Amino acid sequence: MSERLKTIGFALALCLVCSILLTAAATRLKPLQAQNMQLDRKKNILLAISLMDASKTYDAAEINRLYDETIFQYAVDASGAIVDVSDKTRKPGDDLLPIYLAVDREKNTIRSYIIPIDTQGLWGKIYGYLALKDDGSTIEGFTVYKHSETPGLGGEIENRWFQKNFVGKKIVDQNNHFVSVSVAKGIASDQVPDTKLPNFVDGISGATLTGQYLTKGLREILSEYEPASIRFRQDMLACRVSTQTPWCKNENEN
Amino acid sequence: MKMKIKSKALKILLRPIWTDNPVNIQMLGICSALAVTVQLKTAFVMALSMTFAVSCSSFMISLMRKQIPKNIRIIVELSVISTFVIITDEFLRAYMYDISKQLSVFVGLIITNCIVMGRAEAFALSNPSHLAFIDGIGNGAGYGSVLMLIAFIRELLGSGNLFGFQVVPDAVYALGYEDAGFMLLAPAAFIIIGLMVWLQKTLTKGGESDK
Repeated sequence: MSERLKTIGFALALCLVCSILLTAAATRLKPLQAQNMQLDRKKNILLAISLMDASKTYDAAEINRLYDETIFQYAVDASGAIVDVSDKTRKPGDDLLPIYLAVDREKNTIRSYIIPIDTQGLWGKIYGYLALKDDGSTIEGFTVYKHSETPGLGGEIENRWFQKNFVGKKIVDQNNHFVSVSVAKGIASDQVPDTKLPNFVDGISGATLTGQYLTKGLREILSEYEPASIRFRQDMLACRVSTQTPWCKNENEN
Repeated sequence: MKMKIKSKALKILLRPIWTDNPVNIQMLGICSALAVTVQLKTAFVMALSMTFAVSCSSFMISLMRKQIPKNIRIIVELSVISTFVIITDEFLRAYMYDISKQLSVFVGLIITNCIVMGRAEAFALSNPSHLAFIDGIGNGAGYGSVLMLIAFIRELLGSGNLFGFQVVPDAVYALGYEDAGFMLLAPAAFIIIGLMVWLQKTLTKGGESDK
């Protein structure tokens, strides 16, 4: 009996010591980790618009500087208009979608807009960014900063070789109708006719399901943002014609 | 006497690096050796993490070896090992975020790495703590040196870099040299490990008797 008690006591003591150690490590390091994650997101946004070179290393200050100079966070309402996130006059019922605008400082125009991707993958959520050019139809870049796909298979979505496939692809067909962009099963040019090639990227062998989930997720998210994309496509962005739009206002204030 | 202790410790330290290498001879830890050896940098961090985890957990387990109840032995070992591994992982995420992202699950998987568990069972449970610690260092170094060697070959031939710096001059590329993309894939590491095992077996054939 005492043997059993000793065992239970030992197990409890060990659990206590281990949990104290783990809690201490986790809480003490949390601020640093959160900072790293924040920086990593900024980095991914900058990578999506190719403002950063993935093969080079940047320090934190440099990333922050590039980000603050170029990226502005706004929101998109149901009509596709770009509104200020901090706009208090909006009704709470309005569904606002977050959007990032990348600004061309020299020409004083929006060069691209970046849509946060948050979609179901095979094993868990996939988080990333999809940047579209100001024509509202061409993909400028795609990045993934967090996922739980199988390393080496679906996990390849985090690698540049896969993400580079998205560059220059279209989310509209030849007639300018929204079709989203899809991940093909294998090499896109073997699978789809040439006319549809701009809407397909090469898939990852061994990760068909991840590709299917990503295709579905991108279609859903892009169709939510379609009103805004239409405005970009038709060059209807108020910012181009007047200086009274949120971003231009913000620009003037600076 | 003192000399004897010293040489014993040295023997424990050096044995896993060559004659009893955990990867090449015992065939343990192959999974991570395939996964994290595309670049020297990740291999190096992985080697350090592994050395830390195996030496610290061996030390702790050895300290408690007389108290650990026999019937929950394995659970105790795993708790100690996973505590150290998770702490390592947290540190990497706080101070080396990019590398920890590249290593992804493989730091966490040190917990199930047979080397750590194997050393705890085979050595730490029956040896004094300082020797267990040295044994951990030795095994970490043995594992790490194999990892670094594979990563050296793969990074050099696969991307023309070492530690991320270009070492194959542009002039060579201009002459038509191309990086062997195959080296970046897991099967390449498998083949390299195979060749290393072959080489080591051939080299140690003569000295097998003094083991």
